[in-house]
Amino acid sequence: KIFHLGACRVSMSMAEIRAGFTAIKANIQSRDPIRTLSILSHPHSLHKVKVERCCITHHLFTFYVDKVFKHCKTEDSFVNRKISSIANSFLSVRRKLGQCHEQNNCVCGEESTEKFKQILANYEGLNVTTAAMKSLGELDILLDWMDKS
Amino acid sequence: GDALLPAPQSISILSTNMKHFLTWSPVIIQGATVRYSVEFQGEYEREYANGSWIPISECSLTTATVCNITEDISATVAYKLRVRAELGATRSRWATMKGFFNRVTTSLTPPVLRVLADGYHLLVQLADMGPALQFRVLYWKKGQESRMQQKVVREVSSLVHLDTMEAGAEYCVKAQTHVEAINRSSSFSPTQCVRAQGDASMWL
Amino acid sequence: SGELYCSLPNPRNVHFESINMKNVLHWSAPEGTGDGVLYRVKYAVYGVGKWIRKPECRNINRTWCDLSRETSDYEEQYYASVKAFLNGTCSDWMETTRFNPLTDTKIDPPMVRVSSTDKSISIILTAPEKWKRSPEEVSVSLLQVYPGLQYNISVLKKKTKKRWFFSISNNTLVVPWLEPGTAYCVSAQIHVTTPLLDSDFSKEHCIATLKDK
Repeated sequence: KIFHLGACRVSMSMAEIRAGFTAIKANIQSRDPIRTLSILSHPHSLHKVKVERCCITHHLFTFYVDKVFKHCKTEDSFVNRKISSIANSFLSVRRKLGQCHEQNNCVCGEESTEKFKQILANYEGLNVTTAAMKSLGELDILLDWMDKS
Repeated sequence: GDALLPAPQSISILSTNMKHFLTWSPVIIQGATVRYSVEFQGEYEREYANGSWIPISECSLTTATVCNITEDISATVAYKLRVRAELGATRSRWATMKGFFNRVTTSLTPPVLRVLADGYHLLVQLADMGPALQFRVLYWKKGQESRMQQKVVREVSSLVHLDTMEAGAEYCVKAQTHVEAINRSSSFSPTQCVRAQGDASMWL
Repeated sequence: SGELYCSLPNPRNVHFESINMKNVLHWSAPEGTGDGVLYRVKYAVYGVGKWIRKPECRNINRTWCDLSRETSDYEEQYYASVKAFLNGTCSDWMETTRFNPLTDTKIDPPMVRVSSTDKSISIILTAPEKWKRSPEEVSVSLLQVYPGLQYNISVLKKKTKKRWFFSISNNTLVVPWLEPGTAYCVSAQIHVTTPLLDSDFSKEHCIATLKDK
């Protein structure tokens, strides 16, 4: 599917990523006991914040590649394989977003920068494994938000 | 230890229509059943996870010399594959496939299709070639190649309606396999033509 | 009220059943408890710091509770929880998995209207509406919720038993140049690619083309 993120156009196998996440969603979310805190949605849902789509998408794909997937190793081989599939897909998309960024097609305004700072603060407010597993469990929040474009 | 058992040789990948298989030559030990285990490493694992390898459970301690890696090669990045032999507690060293494998290099074959005329209706039936594939179907009235039309079809095995035909006219169809994930297509299938019922004068 | 000592077995299989985003919490009675068990329900918006009691589902004896109103914002995700009470004792709170109305709902088939002339049939499809609080509330079609929504249509010629398939993005289809005086049966399905959601096929709507003039 081609995503139009402002001036940036990125093709992404959203169906494959969603299939990978759906296969492990229950397993991953069951490892996150904290109902009252969200990494992506606190204090405001991604859907309800006026942000530049390319900027936030680029930031979040970098966030997941750099900070999240590596801390989500489990004892379950099937889950680990699906996480690898998602991580490699994210890496592939993050590269395309990086090209948009280099061509100045992925500008970040104040609100986007603020929202991403908040996400990092939410992440750093928890210990790294808890934060990483919670972030992975919230992947559908990011995918739902992207699908709305 | 490990050194006594030779490592598998001739490791290669057969990849057709987005189905990927790792194969290797058997390790022969007289009177013994040698088993094999396979692991993969994507670009993410190389660059962000300390070069870690991930086992494929369906191909752990298998006696086969082929492993279906399709489910794990599910991103368009460069993967490395390795396999080792095991006999009881003895294991060979890991034999790593030379170079990388990226699914963008899969070979795509043209679809198998059946073209029908049912009255004035042009229909096509495409054989199932796997979930990752869709089909780009081109169709035109014979002699009017410049007015070729296209339809992207995902349904397989069913009779898919392409268009309504003019009475008595001949219509031609060809199709290619298309994979959105790697943005590549196969060559076209041979063209098939069918004729609509009735005769051309019916349209005057 | 101080929490009682809870030794009652727990409610089982606490889960949401959702159709067109009408989101109803369901559960099974605790094992081995006969009649007389009462239940209380609470829910939470994921990421928000508090559980909220559902007054209409306080001390109920049925094993479902409609939380559609409370979970109508499909840009949020939710948890719900149930506690059982019997003869002065109680169970633990038993929670659902995280519920995402957007991906965890089931979509009904589209409404199908068919008309015919002597040589053609016209098909008009209507996607189901998202659940709404009251008839007066503005209707939201699932087409607005899932922008990539498409329709798969099957047209069966009864006489020959040949079935044709169509895939369309808009909601109308005219199939021209058919045989006069012939019965055709139409059935349709909704297909959303991402998130991957398919409705069942609708029941068949049969109609005959008019006889040749």
